[in-house]
Amino acid sequence: MGDTSPAGGTNIEGESPQGEPTVDTDEATITDDAELERTLGLSGGLAIGIGTMIGAGIFVFPGLAAGRAGPAAAASFLIGAIVALLVALPASELATAMPKSGGGYYYISRGLGTLPGAVVGLSLWFGLVFASAFYLVGFGYYAVDTLAELGVAVGDGLVIPLALLFGAAFTVLNVTGTENAAKLQNGIVALLLSILAAFLGYGGLDAIGLVGDPSTPEQFAPFGPLPVLSTAALVFTSYLGFAQVATVAGEMKDPGRNLPLSMVGSVLVVGVLYVVTILVATSAFSSEDLSTFGETAMVEVGRHYLGSIGAFAIVFGGLLATVSSANASVLSTSRAIYAVSKDALLPRRASRINLRYGTPHVALGMAGGPILVLVATGRVELLAEVASFLHLIMYGLICVALLALRRNEPAWYDPDFRVPGYPVVPVLGTVASFALIGFMQPVSQLTGIAIMIATAGWYAYYARDVNLKGAFQ
Amino acid sequence: MTRVLVPVAILEGESVSTGLPTLLEPVDVTVLGYHVLPEQTPPDQARLQYEDRAIAALDDLVAQFEAAGGTADHRLVFTHDREQTIDRIAEETAADASAITGVTGAVDRLLVSLTGDVAIDRITSFVAELVGDREIDVTLFLATDDEPGGQESLEAAAAALSEHDIDAGTELVADESPFEALVDAAADHDAIVVGERAPSLQSFLFGDAAERVAAESVGPVLVVRSLDERDGGAAL
Repeated sequence: MGDTSPAGGTNIEGESPQGEPTVDTDEATITDDAELERTLGLSGGLAIGIGTMIGAGIFVFPGLAAGRAGPAAAASFLIGAIVALLVALPASELATAMPKSGGGYYYISRGLGTLPGAVVGLSLWFGLVFASAFYLVGFGYYAVDTLAELGVAVGDGLVIPLALLFGAAFTVLNVTGTENAAKLQNGIVALLLSILAAFLGYGGLDAIGLVGDPSTPEQFAPFGPLPVLSTAALVFTSYLGFAQVATVAGEMKDPGRNLPLSMVGSVLVVGVLYVVTILVATSAFSSEDLSTFGETAMVEVGRHYLGSIGAFAIVFGGLLATVSSANASVLSTSRAIYAVSKDALLPRRASRINLRYGTPHVALGMAGGPILVLVATGRVELLAEVASFLHLIMYGLICVALLALRRNEPAWYDPDFRVPGYPVVPVLGTVASFALIGFMQPVSQLTGIAIMIATAGWYAYYARDVNLKGAFQ
Repeated sequence: MTRVLVPVAILEGESVSTGLPTLLEPVDVTVLGYHVLPEQTPPDQARLQYEDRAIAALDDLVAQFEAAGGTADHRLVFTHDREQTIDRIAEETAADASAITGVTGAVDRLLVSLTGDVAIDRITSFVAELVGDREIDVTLFLATDDEPGGQESLEAAAAALSEHDIDAGTELVADESPFEALVDAAADHDAIVVGERAPSLQSFLFGDAAERVAAESVGPVLVVRSLDERDGGAAL
């Protein structure tokens, strides 16, 4: 590999994009004077993807989604999975061609130029902040339910305070270093998958009438096809995690193999789990009942099938899953800030790390602060949709970047994995990503657009002269 | 040429003791400066900020080895996993041994442990290369319950060394904890050579045996890598 036209230009403070030619092997990235060890294996990559995604779709959305789309919410999740796959495949190709930290932002800034890069990079920061806030509010609901299961009824008034408390705790924990968090994450993911496999296995048998009482059949899509699509837009937040795998591409062993497998594999795993979960949930209760159970509807589903053990298992799983999603998103946020600050789109000091803990304390603060503000709003659906909006913009542009790079392939462009069905898959990925945005609530669309305009304004003010296009380093 | 890898936590101020460059003078040295980062920090982020500082410190260390008359180069790695990094660099540089820096002055007495399932011939040829024609007392040490067998191994190793004109004393310990016995014996010596062992439950619980010896004895420990076992795959 090696470098091509170096990134150039300076921002308003006179900082230039940092980078130097590197050689990527399966085990390390080698720069002129130093080496960066690749330490994440396939299981680590899958754990990041699944661990980030598994929280929302199963433990927060079923009640909300069933209320909007009826049993057809399962189709909404299926649509989300297909869109995610259409993007995960092109993203995999780009990731194996550029196995660097930064993920989608990196591909778009190199493939399409600095302005789209800056908008996506800075929007991704906010997108992850919205996503983290959403996961934390979900966590708050589960924390209250946990107390209720333990016999301490505190009511929903404590949801936001608990979420704020844990948001602050995460930030502090991440600044002071989370030793073995990755191993813990692997364990949490394995435990969650076992809980869900047991629960969904039993619930699935019941749903198709093999055990238990036959359930009353309900019309599949009582509200028609449009709510199915708008629900798909809402629940797409459940599929944001695969892109987080790409942000650690620089740390993954044998990236040519492990990156595509982690991204595509984690989407497939959680997609199947989501669809089955909704089918099981909607066969346990009518969608109207599910809707009234709200964010923790799955606890009632668990109680329906397996009594208080089921309820407890789901409450426990929900705590773990929302914690793991929120934590993974906070970490991704600091990586997103690092990626743009390395390219001089934010002040360099935003990505300072301290030697005492080895953590990027400034970036973590820039993640934690806004997250707490958003958690305080408690608007679950808005938080989820804005997070989806900002990610979908990035996903659409990832597909465009792939099309642009493939059309006149630069010399350095040599991916180990090539997307099957080119150019149909990336074109469909682009169309599907942007189309999904169209089905969101206007308030979410406006919030998302406002953030994008603000980031473009920041680019025009701060980093107009920075050039990133085509610079692969 | 024999090569020894000297891993150093470079940004944590770890250094090499004064006696180590002198001891390693006859062999090639690769100083491996590493910095371990928590998983929330991309290694490249640390490189961006600390590379210059680390390189400057590594240059100073290399100068120490060269001042002692040896030859040394350096590698700098930012990593999440210290063991993986040391293994990879050892593999790439085809190092025969890696050093735990420890604290020592001039090394006059060297303790060579042959305890356990280690590659004795690799250890003796490494020691022969290391000692050369210098005035360093070598004690071959072995802890085992099988006294006659142990005596045999010690004598064979001593014979191998005497071919290189090195007179080695021997010390056999039976009916005692091998670890305690080695640490006791280390008190009379300035540095220790041990063989690399396959990871075991014990090393998982208490840490790598060589590192425990280094911690207990304070002095430098040279761990001779077991290439054959690695290639064979069937260690232990």
